[in-house]
Amino acid sequence: MSAPATTTAGYLESLLAGQPQLPASPLAWLNTLRAEAVDRVGALTVPTVRDEEWRFTDISPLTKLSFQPVSAPTSLQAADIERFYIEEATTRLVFVDGVYAPQLSSVAADAGVVVTNLAAAATDLAAIAPHLGQHAAFHDDVFAALNTAFLHDAAVLVVPRNVAVSAPVHLLFIATQKEAASYPRCLLLAESGCAVTVIEDYVALQEEAYFTNAVTEIALADNARVNHIRVQREGAQAFHIANCAVSLARASHFHSVSVALGARISRYNLNTLQTAEGTECIVDGLALIANNQLADTHTCIDHAQPHGVSRQQHKCIAGGNAHAVFNGKIMVRPGAQRTDSSQSSHNLLLSGRAHVDTKPQLEIFADDVKCTHGATVGQLDSEEVFYLRSRGLSEIVARNMLTYAFGAEIIERIPVASLKRQLGQTVLEQTSSQT
Amino acid sequence: MSATLQNLVNQPYKHGFVTDIETDVAPKGLSEQTIRMISAKKNEPEWLLEFRLNAYRSWLKMEEPTWANVKYTEIDFQAISYYAAPKPKAKLKSMDEVDPELLRTFEKLGVPLHERAALAGVAVDVIFDSVSVATTYKEKLAEVGIIFCAMSEAVQHHPELVQKYLGSVVPVGDNFYAALNSAVFTDGSFCYIPKGVKCPMDLSTYFRINTQESGQFERTLIIAEEGASVSYLEGCTAPKFDTNQLHAAVVELIALDNADIKYSTVQNWYAGDENGVGGIYNFVTKRGLAKGVNSRISWTQVETGSAITWKYPSCVLLGENSVGEFYSVALTNHHQQADTGTKMIHIGKNTRSTIVSKGISAGHSNNSYRGLVKVTPTAAGARNYSQCDSMLIGDQSGAHTFPYIQVRNNTAKVEHEASTSKIGEDQLFYFAQRGIGAEAAVSMIINGFCKDVFQQLPLEFAVEATNLLSFKLEGSVG
Repeated sequence: MSAPATTTAGYLESLLAGQPQLPASPLAWLNTLRAEAVDRVGALTVPTVRDEEWRFTDISPLTKLSFQPVSAPTSLQAADIERFYIEEATTRLVFVDGVYAPQLSSVAADAGVVVTNLAAAATDLAAIAPHLGQHAAFHDDVFAALNTAFLHDAAVLVVPRNVAVSAPVHLLFIATQKEAASYPRCLLLAESGCAVTVIEDYVALQEEAYFTNAVTEIALADNARVNHIRVQREGAQAFHIANCAVSLARASHFHSVSVALGARISRYNLNTLQTAEGTECIVDGLALIANNQLADTHTCIDHAQPHGVSRQQHKCIAGGNAHAVFNGKIMVRPGAQRTDSSQSSHNLLLSGRAHVDTKPQLEIFADDVKCTHGATVGQLDSEEVFYLRSRGLSEIVARNMLTYAFGAEIIERIPVASLKRQLGQTVLEQTSSQT
Repeated sequence: MSATLQNLVNQPYKHGFVTDIETDVAPKGLSEQTIRMISAKKNEPEWLLEFRLNAYRSWLKMEEPTWANVKYTEIDFQAISYYAAPKPKAKLKSMDEVDPELLRTFEKLGVPLHERAALAGVAVDVIFDSVSVATTYKEKLAEVGIIFCAMSEAVQHHPELVQKYLGSVVPVGDNFYAALNSAVFTDGSFCYIPKGVKCPMDLSTYFRINTQESGQFERTLIIAEEGASVSYLEGCTAPKFDTNQLHAAVVELIALDNADIKYSTVQNWYAGDENGVGGIYNFVTKRGLAKGVNSRISWTQVETGSAITWKYPSCVLLGENSVGEFYSVALTNHHQQADTGTKMIHIGKNTRSTIVSKGISAGHSNNSYRGLVKVTPTAAGARNYSQCDSMLIGDQSGAHTFPYIQVRNNTAKVEHEASTSKIGEDQLFYFAQRGIGAEAAVSMIINGFCKDVFQQLPLEFAVEATNLLSFKLEGSVG
């Protein structure tokens, strides 16, 4: 028992090696926060399959490789990354290997929001301090602690009171170097009555192994509305581990669509916490994986107050040797009466070697609630295939069409037309190539 | 409204009396010596002692499981007496010689031991603390070749069968409590249905814990040979004590080709008082092996008692086209905690399983469904349907669902659904409109909620279970 513990401790130490080189922040509280996180990394170990939360996701391949933050950032030209642009998004922050790239970023003058990078931010710091590092708890999560220890550049978005931002904000994280560890961080503060759409987008320009460890914190004030779209299209050898923590104040509305396409091993933890009455939380997800990919989504929707509504739909399409994992926890705390929650997990296995572990989980401590969940695992319905064939489609076209339709249901919910089109195309290509 | 519902569920426990009978109780504590003592008392063959000692040694290396969604103070395994038996007056020849005090006890519990008075058409094996005190209809069953007797008797008379099957479904090192049971089990029922025999009557075991400091560790083994079928019932009660007693049983079922085993339980151990003091810790391992083609194993349980329930009747579906079923109603009240569910392991081709679980939580209780549906790569065409519904009565109780679904074969089809609801004011209002009082309405709603499960129970049990729930929920609706 002690031997592996030392190994993981050694591994964490090696990951932390670059941390002291981080420039000290002019903000004292930020330095304290980092130091606390470094302490926590020291106290925690890398999770193994013996931990219930990581039971189906073996991240030991990650610990066999060593990753460091990049020493020399790659200089990219706009032409290199243009294809990732989303036409509706006039405001865009670009991070290359976790380092903010101002020359590639653009903030529309009429955006009406504060969009900045933490290291450069001079405005509104008072608003940030009570939130940064406060929603994504890093005391028990070694990856969140690592990210917090490296907290330097961060995308910060503050949407002022009663401002409805029409154009989506695009946060683009690009991986360009192998063996690089990057620690992307996003903070979104949606003040009362505002509305905003944010796209968190992870892409790669190379196919070697690297490690992305991201943390996103979103705080919604009363009546705020946030659309959060998360696209993970990392390189085929990448390791992607991400935490997202959302806090919902009175009558706020949060809609999230997360799409996982890339990475060799990816893990996404989404925790939403209802802090006042009458919130609405819609969480949709799609994992489309093949070959030897593993995609793990863990969500926890915490109804801590009365009158909360949550809707969750998660879908996995696994081909090749892929392994899809879903764990969706719905928590209804004592006193959270009139909670209305539904959750579904649908999984499609395209090959004989693909497999899926799914666990929809309900924990209910209040009696006047309506909670349902459902899960299915299966293959394409042979009657549906037959129906399409009876209309003259070939077997393969019929199967591709049904697989596409299965995934498209989630893609359809993305409120940004060009991204929807782009991802729809990706799903179409990927599902066709798998048969 | 919720106060009346609260009152509804607070019914006294009817089986909480203690039988004053001279008992032979072993000193407290567990060691190799205790095991040798139990084995010697039962005059067991060498291999069984070895089996026990093996289990004990693996138990020593194990840690008490903590993953279940239950909280309790640590059990001191050295403070339990592992053997307690009523002192036999003399060797029994017929039922008339059974200690009258015992007879009265079981009359009171509604399980008459006289065959003429016995529940018509049900053969009963009665376990009192650590030993079997009587088995009814033994001869009649023997006529068709069925062996139905106490485990200790089977060890003496049919050692080859016991040796072949004991521990074959639940190995000695399976889990903490199964290992403990394998080391110290004292008695239980043994049942063997030969090839092609349909058991002419329901078989049943009635468990009674009577001694305060003892635990009950019984072991049940049911074997259905090719083409055989049997329906088996189990009931349990215990007196009210303000301490907790441990009940760690192991049940193994084996169904060969085309065999059919139906196992039904109405569990009504003492659940502790309204403050959660006392009650039985019910840590049970039940598993059926559907070994042959077209075999079928069906579990039905009505769990209303025990301070803590930790129980997952499972099916290992090994034979092609074998079928596993699990129907459960779990009712918890006061400070009861139940963590129960099932495991369906699909290994053979075209195996099918159905899970229907209904949880009702009232008072301060917590009721969890924890289930696993696992489809291995060999289980082509496997099919599972699971449904778990929870009902909450009062806002202090909790209902939880932990369904694990692991699929390794893409021709499998697995479906799971769950819902949580409460008895709504509007429902009661609707009943009231039609002239039905709240009490009858609640009873109707609950019976409707549990109907899918009750339908699976053998007739007498279905009546008993319905009554049990309405007793538990009966009271003062005004």
